[in-house]
Amino acid sequence: MSDTGKGPRSGSKLVAHVTKADRRQFLIGSAGLLGAAALGIGTGLGTRPARAQGRAEISFASAAFFGKETFGDLIKTFNESQDRVLVKNIELPPPSSSTEVYQGLVQQLARRNGTPDVFSQDVIWIAGFASAGWALPLDEYFPADKRDAYFSGTLSACTYDGKLTALPWFMDSGMFYYRKDVLEKHGGKVPETWADMATIAAAAQKGGDVDFGYLWQGKQAEVLVCDAVEIITSNNGSILAPDGKSSLINKKEAVEAIQFLHDTINTTKISPQDVLSWDEEPSRQPFTSGKAMFMRNWSYVYPIAQDPKASQVVDKVGVAPLPSFPGGKSSACLGGYQLGVNANSKQREAAIELLTWLSSPETQHRIALNFGLAPTRPALFQDEKIKTEQPFMASLEKVFTGATARPITPEYAKVTLALQSGISKALVSGKVQEEMDALATQIDGIVG
Amino acid sequence: MRWRPRSTASSADPMSAAVSSSASGWPRRRSKLLPAALWPLILLTPAIVSLASVSFYPIVNGFYLSFTNTSLITQEQEFTGFSNFLRLWSDAQFWNAWWHTMWFTFASTVLETVIGLGMALILCEAFKGRGLVRAAMLVPWAMPTVVTSKMFGWLFDGQHGIINYILLHAGLIDQNVNWYGSPDTAMTTIIIADVWKTTPFMALLLLTGLQTVPTSLLEAARMDGAKAWTTFWHIRLPLLMPTLLIAGLFRALDAFRVFDLVYVLTGGGPADSTETLSTLSYKVLFSTLEFGYGSAVSTAMFVTELAIAVAFCLYLMRQIRRAR
Repeated sequence: MSDTGKGPRSGSKLVAHVTKADRRQFLIGSAGLLGAAALGIGTGLGTRPARAQGRAEISFASAAFFGKETFGDLIKTFNESQDRVLVKNIELPPPSSSTEVYQGLVQQLARRNGTPDVFSQDVIWIAGFASAGWALPLDEYFPADKRDAYFSGTLSACTYDGKLTALPWFMDSGMFYYRKDVLEKHGGKVPETWADMATIAAAAQKGGDVDFGYLWQGKQAEVLVCDAVEIITSNNGSILAPDGKSSLINKKEAVEAIQFLHDTINTTKISPQDVLSWDEEPSRQPFTSGKAMFMRNWSYVYPIAQDPKASQVVDKVGVAPLPSFPGGKSSACLGGYQLGVNANSKQREAAIELLTWLSSPETQHRIALNFGLAPTRPALFQDEKIKTEQPFMASLEKVFTGATARPITPEYAKVTLALQSGISKALVSGKVQEEMDALATQIDGIVG
Repeated sequence: MRWRPRSTASSADPMSAAVSSSASGWPRRRSKLLPAALWPLILLTPAIVSLASVSFYPIVNGFYLSFTNTSLITQEQEFTGFSNFLRLWSDAQFWNAWWHTMWFTFASTVLETVIGLGMALILCEAFKGRGLVRAAMLVPWAMPTVVTSKMFGWLFDGQHGIINYILLHAGLIDQNVNWYGSPDTAMTTIIIADVWKTTPFMALLLLTGLQTVPTSLLEAARMDGAKAWTTFWHIRLPLLMPTLLIAGLFRALDAFRVFDLVYVLTGGGPADSTETLSTLSYKVLFSTLEFGYGSAVSTAMFVTELAIAVAFCLYLMRQIRRAR
């Protein structure tokens, strides 16, 4: 107990897969933070006494994202757009402190007093909140025909035990970055299988075009689980069985996939030893300084790669879905925040109204333009305004189609710690089957 | 004569003297209401209450939690006896972290004591600019650990780190070493960072200890023809022993709690090779929100620290007794 609460207040890497773009925007926008906070207070408190009569009062809690505006501004618009519901905005820490956001939400939801009525949640918390009975099943409000408008990967991440317990809001996913100019020299075709990728990467490395063939993230952290989910799923494997009660990580498909990652360092040598201690940023730097051919990373890298002040590879970078194994399908680890309704909310109808508004095409459109967060509705990627203002985002539709959720289990927090440790051991020692067997036993003990 | 005892009491105890002199009309009435012996206790109450609420209560509550299955996620909170500790006993990750923490504590304390002693001996001598050197020496210690961590992250960086650059050009290694990415080197690198940061603290403590060694003894030894080494071994070191042990105890207890360096540099990886008890309990407590089991990890930490402290204190007492 001696160190309880002594941990740094900064965000934990454990559950911090959220887009780095938000972090960047947070930094950029931090100057405007005070003003924005003042605005938030204005919306939350100032307007209430004047117009509270006859309106259902509910609260909305979310991690604080920053862009050209804040979520407080969104809520203000909602409050002004109608006279039935009045929403109070509860601002949680930024997504970079996602452990703190998680704790804050858990503490409030566990009180079961209905506050907050509506909240946003990281995809990996959905199952936990649902199994604790804190998230209201949304099936009756959003029947199957209304759900078709969302990416299927996001919907499955929002579903627990056959019930839709969250509504898709905005998303990010892992993607495959490549150097257009170097690829021209080596056939010009974006590799679709891991083997092709390794061959081209090795050739580019040998030819002296780049120092590193392929960069990924092997640090013992949440991002390692993301990398693993992608490569295992692209070999038709899975971490958990479909019922979520046992592990499949020691099956042939998963072992082959992890073996491939190990080989990139030790056999094909297309990745430096350093990836074992790299998370997103350390792997991004060599890529944007022109030293690497391919890289797996999130969408935040693209704006940096196009920024002449930070990048040596402006206009030389392309993005594609990640490769797969023969017979498998490309897979991209899903991230982002989704919406939920408190099961104990006393103002259920009002909560659903806010939820519907927040996830509507109009609001998602506004979030895409003003926050740079990608919509969960494929149709919006065809939107002309998004295409002109966020051309990169518009090109991501293909990548997001393969979005795959991380293991859906209420015990995710324990499962991810086990995965991080077990996969790291396998990558370091090379005894993949042995470590995966031990890991499977451990995970079976957690979820079984 | 009846007044004698009272007046001696108030003159012997400055605090009650101050109290009774502050309001000349009050003492008599007050002494009827409350016995004088109670006053110190009453005056101490604010301090006791505030200390108990921020220090004693959390410890007791942590102990209690470690015997329950409290979890914020499952919303359970039942007394489960020793089951957390039985689980701990067979938890390979816990023992892995325990050994790493012990190794870190041992290695960093020994290195810091030895190097710190050397620094203290140099700084004890009179030379030009000594004040400046003493002040400069404290810079690493004054730096926030997170800054130190980031700095060592860059120094030992696998691609651009200056350590790799120097070693490579000196011909000591034939290719870049990924210090934080290999289980063989990650812990050593963290220990080096800790030694760099905390040695000045040890040097400072030992310097004050050295300054209490009477110069007359040293002069006498010199006149008897003792060389520097003999003086150190037979006069300075024995007299420094209590300071050395207390400084070592401080350092060991502090090193045992190592968190920031590991958290920033490796997050416990690769392959759990730098996981320590602090980072493990943080993960269990705040990522999985299993407060019961997490408290059991912290309690185990507490017990280990207690054992270290007791061992040091027993040795210290024996030293002091032998000196007498």
